[in-house]
Amino acid sequence: MEYLLHIAVMVCLYSILATSFNLLIGFAGLFALSQAAFYGLGAYTTAILLVDVGLPFPLPLIASAVVGAGVGTLLALPALRIVGDYLVVVTLAFQIILVEVAMNWTGLTGGTDGISGVPNYQVFGLSLDSPTSFLPVALLVAALCFWIAWRLATSPFGRSLRAMRENESAAVSVGKNVVAMKLVVFAFSAGLAAVAGSLFARYFNYVGADSFLIEETIYILAMVILGGAGNLVGSVLGAAILVILPELLKFIALPVDIADKSRLVLYGLVMVAILIYRPQGLLGERKTQARTRASSGPGGGEAAAVPLRASAGAAARGRTIEGRGLAKQFGGIVAISSLDIRLEPGTITGLIGPNGAGKTTAFNLLTGFLKPTGGEVLLDGSSTGALKPYELARAGVARSFQDLRLFTKMTVLENVLVALPGQVGDSVFSVYFRPAAVRRDEAANVRRAREVLAFVGLEEQLHETAENLSYAEEKLLVVARLLATGADVLLFDEPLSGLDGATLQEIFPVMRRLAESGKTVCIIEHNLDVIKELCSVVYYLDEGHAMAVGRPEELMADPELAERYFR
Amino acid sequence: MSRTDSAAAAAETASGTEVVLAVRGLGAGYGRKRVVHDVSLALGEREVLLMLGHNGAGKTTLLRAIFGLGKPMGGSVSYHGRDITGRKAAENVTDGLAYVPQGHGVFRTLSVADNLELGGFVEPRSALLAERRERVFELFPILAERRSQTAGTLSGGQQQMLAIGMALMHEPRVILLDEPSIGLAPNLVERVMQAVVTINRTMGVAILMVEQNVQLSLPIAQRALVLKTGAVVYDGPPDPLRDHVELMKLF
Amino acid sequence: MDLFLQLFFNGLTNGSYYALLGVGFGLIFATTKIVHFAYGPIFACAAYAAWWAASLGVPLPLAGVFAVAVAAVLGVASFLVIYRPIQVRGAPGLVALIASLGLFILLENLLGIVFGAGNKVIENVNYDVFFLGPVFFTSIHLWQIASLAILGGALFLFLRYTRFGKAIVAMTDNREMAEIIGIDTTRMAIAVFAIGSALSAVPAVLILLKDGATTHMGFQAVFMAFVTVVVGGIGSIRGAVVGGFALGLVQSLGLWKIPTEWQSSIAFVVLFLILVARPQGLFGASRL
Repeated sequence: MEYLLHIAVMVCLYSILATSFNLLIGFAGLFALSQAAFYGLGAYTTAILLVDVGLPFPLPLIASAVVGAGVGTLLALPALRIVGDYLVVVTLAFQIILVEVAMNWTGLTGGTDGISGVPNYQVFGLSLDSPTSFLPVALLVAALCFWIAWRLATSPFGRSLRAMRENESAAVSVGKNVVAMKLVVFAFSAGLAAVAGSLFARYFNYVGADSFLIEETIYILAMVILGGAGNLVGSVLGAAILVILPELLKFIALPVDIADKSRLVLYGLVMVAILIYRPQGLLGERKTQARTRASSGPGGGEAAAVPLRASAGAAARGRTIEGRGLAKQFGGIVAISSLDIRLEPGTITGLIGPNGAGKTTAFNLLTGFLKPTGGEVLLDGSSTGALKPYELARAGVARSFQDLRLFTKMTVLENVLVALPGQVGDSVFSVYFRPAAVRRDEAANVRRAREVLAFVGLEEQLHETAENLSYAEEKLLVVARLLATGADVLLFDEPLSGLDGATLQEIFPVMRRLAESGKTVCIIEHNLDVIKELCSVVYYLDEGHAMAVGRPEELMADPELAERYFR
Repeated sequence: MSRTDSAAAAAETASGTEVVLAVRGLGAGYGRKRVVHDVSLALGEREVLLMLGHNGAGKTTLLRAIFGLGKPMGGSVSYHGRDITGRKAAENVTDGLAYVPQGHGVFRTLSVADNLELGGFVEPRSALLAERRERVFELFPILAERRSQTAGTLSGGQQQMLAIGMALMHEPRVILLDEPSIGLAPNLVERVMQAVVTINRTMGVAILMVEQNVQLSLPIAQRALVLKTGAVVYDGPPDPLRDHVELMKLF
Repeated sequence: MDLFLQLFFNGLTNGSYYALLGVGFGLIFATTKIVHFAYGPIFACAAYAAWWAASLGVPLPLAGVFAVAVAAVLGVASFLVIYRPIQVRGAPGLVALIASLGLFILLENLLGIVFGAGNKVIENVNYDVFFLGPVFFTSIHLWQIASLAILGGALFLFLRYTRFGKAIVAMTDNREMAEIIGIDTTRMAIAVFAIGSALSAVPAVLILLKDGATTHMGFQAVFMAFVTVVVGGIGSIRGAVVGGFALGLVQSLGLWKIPTEWQSSIAFVVLFLILVARPQGLFGASRL
């Protein structure tokens, strides 16, 4: 019996570790290999504070969480400039350094001897010194940690995390501060792992560095992969399976040493097999339908009539964005040189020109995605030079991408929800301390998102995953996502190419009404009929600068331009 | 008349010769997503067939599926009457089919000479390769001048010439040419189109070319095809497309 | 000063060891884009294979050949059985990395089960001891340096001047283009896994002779190889050599002023700082 309860305690510990790790790799898409280091950090913090300092409960536990989160943030700060495989090396190095420190800083950590004699929890004079008495505490803490992770993952903030994972630049383009988001998720993940470490110290009354090696990180990873990255329940399931499964080996009479290694071989086998045969894990990523369905308001027909004002907020503020003498070089190649462009409120400006003329580069410069090598961008007369792309997006300058950059593994509704500005639930503080406000705001946001989607004619596909849309539907979703930002300056990079005539006839009035409501609209477009239909001003870009500016008919009548481009 | 019949018929009327490359009901895409639906086309011997279409229409996906990069989702491709659907790219190259991908299809860190040599990878006889290299240098003298320069430091136009030159190194009978004009200044586009004409007329290579530069590519094509959201909406002589209003209706 | 010279020499020998590991790991990484963590335990398997063969009385050079063969077979098998199915599916690169971590613990612990714990050493290895002024070294140290010079040089010539080698370089540059010009990229990947793994067997045998083999030796090897490649720049033999020596010297010269027990920590801290400051490597990517 004691033995079974011991296993239950271990399942609790690993559930915390696996769910916290899943936040990082499954939701934020940050592949950091230092989870065991944070686990150990929490264990040592608790052990040292109890044995050397003698702090009373619950201070060591809190201290562990805080130290874990703090060190996690410190690691994240430099590491976030690094992506993909390089993040793996850096966090791996960090993992090794931490273990080395634990092994060698004998004065603090006891070196290879570790720290023993960590006191048990005392509840009403009762010492929790057995699995039986410890299990309730482990369950309680594990449940609390799971709730914290769950709350974060299923909040609007969690949705933004997944959007960042799917496409970072698109997340930036809808105003997400991805650096801050990464720091927060690192802090949560590390903090929760450290809490598991604190429990470890209390349960085993001993802390030693060899419990927190890189192998430990891999076991935790195996649990996440088995359960399914992006699914927190899956992580609990994965932890339970991988803790219990090796215990079954104990019924086979094997020497202790070999039994232990067989457990690890089993972990390795499970990981490899899952990745080959069921890469999404046992449960796979959860589709977040239920919540949005429950809060759905009236959609469809009627909403479609008024959506624009609803989605765009009140009348636009009427903003002018201007590029003066813009220049951009990549290495020796000049993409843009001395480009002057001015986009006025209430107008639709067209940007035309051959492929490679610098149209998209111009968008990148206006929206801060690229910094010009010369000239400046002015929003209502003041320079935007210091603003980061996400700040510009929040300030009302939003853009779409020619290659769409949808959040492909998220639903249509989520794609639009992510883009809505000023969400209460994007603040982590609100997620935990103002749940009612988050709920209300979310319900309102779902209504707005549905209106925007009804407006572009995607209300039927609300819960479809974006990757399953047809090309035309994807285009419409791009437009919807851009509208949802509520920005005053809207830059569309080839929004209409590939749409059929009927759809175009539906989109044209949308564009016109955007301009009529005072928005500043600019589109890059190859189809001259569209340009004639929509634009009042056209810039003809070639070889990086504006060769001609004027009304569409004027430009098309210009014999030289006609020779170069139109014919 | 079904689309397949019309395509085949058009091929014969355009060139009056045998069909070298025939695509029937081809579907293609990436992941689970289908981008190209039921496309049929036929490329006649010594023909330049121009494929137009908006961004995202599936032109590149189609070329890749024909060439054996990425699995076709239904339909078939035949080359000289033999079925080559989904065959490995390496086999197609050996068999005389070449693909020049969009935008700088070169090995950027290697020299021009190394790039050309690799272009002839499937031909182990070095004497033949030297001969072919001379022909490429004749066509694009600038490559001879720059032979020891790293390809990544060439201008966009020179890289495009090198990419075409690499395809010529395996002496193809058919070239699938994906938007050779992309990112090039107008005078360079003309230069590249001239080269395409030379390859077609004097070397007798059939060319299936994707282009967005209608103005410069239409005149050299014997037939044109318009692709829209993954399906063929026009297949016939190029002349009617010269009227841009007509063309825009198709886009 | 004497101490400095000795440490400097130690740095060079360790550096050549890291460099050779980095060359093999880097070749696999640059060509296939797979972070092959199981490179570590395969390296360990090679050492164990040599030890096992030698313990059966096989002459040392033959035992070394056996180790090379074992490593090459395991490397190719890991590609064909695990990485290839994942790549064919078009999964993101991290999936192969995670799978390689799974393979890592699988192989490492299988070794432990088969051979048991403890350090495996070959008794009665004959090697010469040299003194060059104040610097002490053995013939194994010389072999470490020589193996890098010979194998690194041979690989360089192979990649630079043979048709097959050039095809590998082409694939490193642009895998898709390689396929387009008719290179069978699967065959190349198999070759690269064979060559890269075989290369790792040589330092494995030398370490076996010098320090013996343990099941945990693989992690240190693959981590150092990974760091060497990242510091030196991916896809470049020269980079791996420079990265390996930089690593060896930093680690060794750190001892000059720092207590022994902190030796590896200091190296890692330096590495960590280098990685954070210049994630693209000290020298950026260059060819060969």
